[in-house]
Amino acid sequence: MAIPVIMPRQGQSVETCIIGEWSKKVGDPIKKGEVFFSYETDKSSFEEEAKEDGEVLAIFYEDGDEVPVLTNVAVIGKKGESVEEFRPGNGSAAPVVETVAEPAVAPAVSAASECKSSQVASVATVTNDGKVVASPRAKCEAEKDSICINDLAGTGPHGRIIARDVEGAIGTDKQMTKLAKVKSETEGLKPVSEPTGIGGRVAAADLTSNPVYGKSEDSEVKKLTHMRKLIGNAMFKSLHESAQLTHHMSADARKIMALRKVYKKKLADGETKENVTINDFICYAVIKALKKFPQANTHFLGDSIRYFNKIHLGLAVDTDRGLMVPVVKNADDLSLEGLSAQLGSVATQSRKGNINPDLLKADAASITVSNLGNYGVEVFTPILNLPQACILGVCTIVPRPKDLGGGVYGFVPMVGLSLTYNHQVLDGGEATRFLKEIKDQIENMTL
Amino acid sequence: MSALYDLAIIGGGPAGYVGAELAGKKGLKVVLFDKRALGGVCLNEGCIPTKALLQSEKVLQSAREASKYGIGVENISVDFDKIMKRKDKMTKKLVSGVGAKMKRAKVDVVMAEAVIKGKNAEGITISADGKEFNAVNLLVCTGSEAAVPPIPGLDPKEILTNREILQLKEIPKNLVIIGGGVIGGEFADFFNAMGSKVTVIEMLPEILNGIDEDVAAFVRKEFTKRGIDYYLQAKVTSLKGKEVFFEKDGKTSSIKGDQVLLSVGRKVNVAGIGLESLGVEFTRRGIKVDSHCRTNVPNVFAAGDITGFSQLAHTASREAVVVVNNILGNKDTMRYDAIPGVVYTHPECASVGLTEAAAKAKGIEVEVRSLPMAYAGRFVIENEGKDGFCKIIAGKKYGEILGVHMVGGSCSEIIWGACALIEAQLRVQDVKELVFPHPTVSEIIRETIFEF
Repeated sequence: MAIPVIMPRQGQSVETCIIGEWSKKVGDPIKKGEVFFSYETDKSSFEEEAKEDGEVLAIFYEDGDEVPVLTNVAVIGKKGESVEEFRPGNGSAAPVVETVAEPAVAPAVSAASECKSSQVASVATVTNDGKVVASPRAKCEAEKDSICINDLAGTGPHGRIIARDVEGAIGTDKQMTKLAKVKSETEGLKPVSEPTGIGGRVAAADLTSNPVYGKSEDSEVKKLTHMRKLIGNAMFKSLHESAQLTHHMSADARKIMALRKVYKKKLADGETKENVTINDFICYAVIKALKKFPQANTHFLGDSIRYFNKIHLGLAVDTDRGLMVPVVKNADDLSLEGLSAQLGSVATQSRKGNINPDLLKADAASITVSNLGNYGVEVFTPILNLPQACILGVCTIVPRPKDLGGGVYGFVPMVGLSLTYNHQVLDGGEATRFLKEIKDQIENMTL
Repeated sequence: MSALYDLAIIGGGPAGYVGAELAGKKGLKVVLFDKRALGGVCLNEGCIPTKALLQSEKVLQSAREASKYGIGVENISVDFDKIMKRKDKMTKKLVSGVGAKMKRAKVDVVMAEAVIKGKNAEGITISADGKEFNAVNLLVCTGSEAAVPPIPGLDPKEILTNREILQLKEIPKNLVIIGGGVIGGEFADFFNAMGSKVTVIEMLPEILNGIDEDVAAFVRKEFTKRGIDYYLQAKVTSLKGKEVFFEKDGKTSSIKGDQVLLSVGRKVNVAGIGLESLGVEFTRRGIKVDSHCRTNVPNVFAAGDITGFSQLAHTASREAVVVVNNILGNKDTMRYDAIPGVVYTHPECASVGLTEAAAKAKGIEVEVRSLPMAYAGRFVIENEGKDGFCKIIAGKKYGEILGVHMVGGSCSEIIWGACALIEAQLRVQDVKELVFPHPTVSEIIRETIFEF
């Protein structure tokens, strides 16, 4: 009996997903456990496996379509079985979402329009690990004609780049001079979008490490990516709708630096699996300080304040797609090593794009830590991740002169702390005392 | 009020007529203005007439050297009047050819001075011959003329520029040339062969500024052998009639000529055409354009000498093609790294791309190979007892061809091949796969490439 394949629900907050790529086409046999298609939320990508053996009887959506979760996207069954009852719109299933979001993976698709076959959809052909999927013949022809294969949109099965895609690119801006091709491969450079070489080819002068520059136009207008829009809206809303300000303080980092050395040795000796970082110590100190300042572990709800009984620690992570703030739930239940492991894990998942979207929601965390110390930032003013009442910015460690007692002055490594808080929730005195508590926790950390 | 044109072009030189012809053929309604003669400086007082003169010189030299090839030629004589008349005939023929091209491309030609009046809802207004013309797009290509610097005592009536020297009735006994660039070099060669005593005064350390130093030195040595006197690093301080005073190594000397040719550069024709009425940005050096030959004013383009950088007829023509393509909505970008430069002296110099010095100045690491022209058998056959060389400059890292510089024989005819190598960004190893016809002079490029 034919069975429908639905768009899975990834987390409670996700209403729609975008189809990345079908691994099978109608008529293909499929086995249980084989990857059927990939799909993406705003921030993550997943693969869906077939749950039954059978033949692919129907595929209702194309790559790049935004589909409401739990909607039928395909049918698997025996040859000849009817699929009509499963077609979205025929029953309770919802139709395709009208507003097509920015595809999360968006290689240039302009070459596809040059291709002879117009009914074939243009498909992202770069796999998650960045490998280009192309037929040997296509690769060979691309080499021969100096086509930059990475930029092509494949029209073959599974979005594979096939010979006709390469042929379609001849004479377009995907064609490079021999020199440009060798140079781009050797130096990892990309062509600008408006090449200036002979016959519209990409010339060596059109290669740049940053394709934004080197164009002949003075400027160009580009639509925001979905991710950029989300971040932008959240940041603007935060500055617009709260009374936030930042206090700066610095803490003697000698203790945590010494402890870091201890853990480094433990790691080297195989006594622990966790590489406990300076940031982990500071997060640990924040959790301890929050125990004394529950008013900082809050959400501002307009006419009320939500006080959390648990600490859900958000961590700002810089990823290729933009800023993400995954949360470690119940962080106060964790040991230092446990916290270190969890923070490392959510950061990696965010960078890879397979983080549970629910962990990225602003109201999932009760407080956020943003660490720019690695980059040498000495002071900054983090923006609140509303409705959270506090965000702690962690700055770089700088040697500062300190009175060591007995008339002795010396240089001491000090870590900068920048606490942004919502004055709608906390007053300056409370915020200062909370920040001072974090400082004390850092300076007196024992394990 | 006449109909609205798609494109108005001011200046009928190698930018103007080439642009007009292409635009007309593509179906645009085009009007072309020129105040003097179609073809511009190139056809009327530059490239074409000088090449006609130099061809007469080439025939003269062949006659003089004929015995080397087993041919007896006696009683060689020079008929200067006939040489000049032949030059006029060639010029007239080619100018009328341009007129015919304009007709075929359905371009309206207005032989009158044109002045830009401004912009209105109808487009850009140009006034010429007492009438007003409106056009959506405007291409300004009014070119350049010989620069006459304010040297004390310089009387424009006493000296010649490239324009007047082409109208000489007799061969000057003594010709003093101020400026040893391309124009000065070609006239020095011609009049030396005609029997003039030629003296060249050049301010820079070497003649043919911009050309590969070794090529320029080769030509100078060859010319010195033929009796042309050179004063390098010599600054002309004043003139008194046809007597030229100059300072070299701190000493002032003077030379009196029957004629004095002033060839010290070009002055762009930006004045009096009404650029101000549109707010087109320009300086004394020319109109400012981007890589699509667009000025700062929408729909106003400039091409040729007026843009101030390349000042070569073939650059002008290519720029005009870029302009028309952009008007037609076809993407086209002007590239200046493969523009050939040719000096039609005997021997000819032909070069394209970077010189060794320019590469160094740009901080590009290069490999250089050079071979005497005699490595090409055909050159030896055709140029008995003569020499020349080919120098190729390639990038050190990738081996891309960056420059090709030649002197000897008729190398101007093979330089386009080197331009193609540079445009296509071929590398030394790619060029090694090309097949050159044997035996030809062009094989010198192949021979030099295989030195890498």
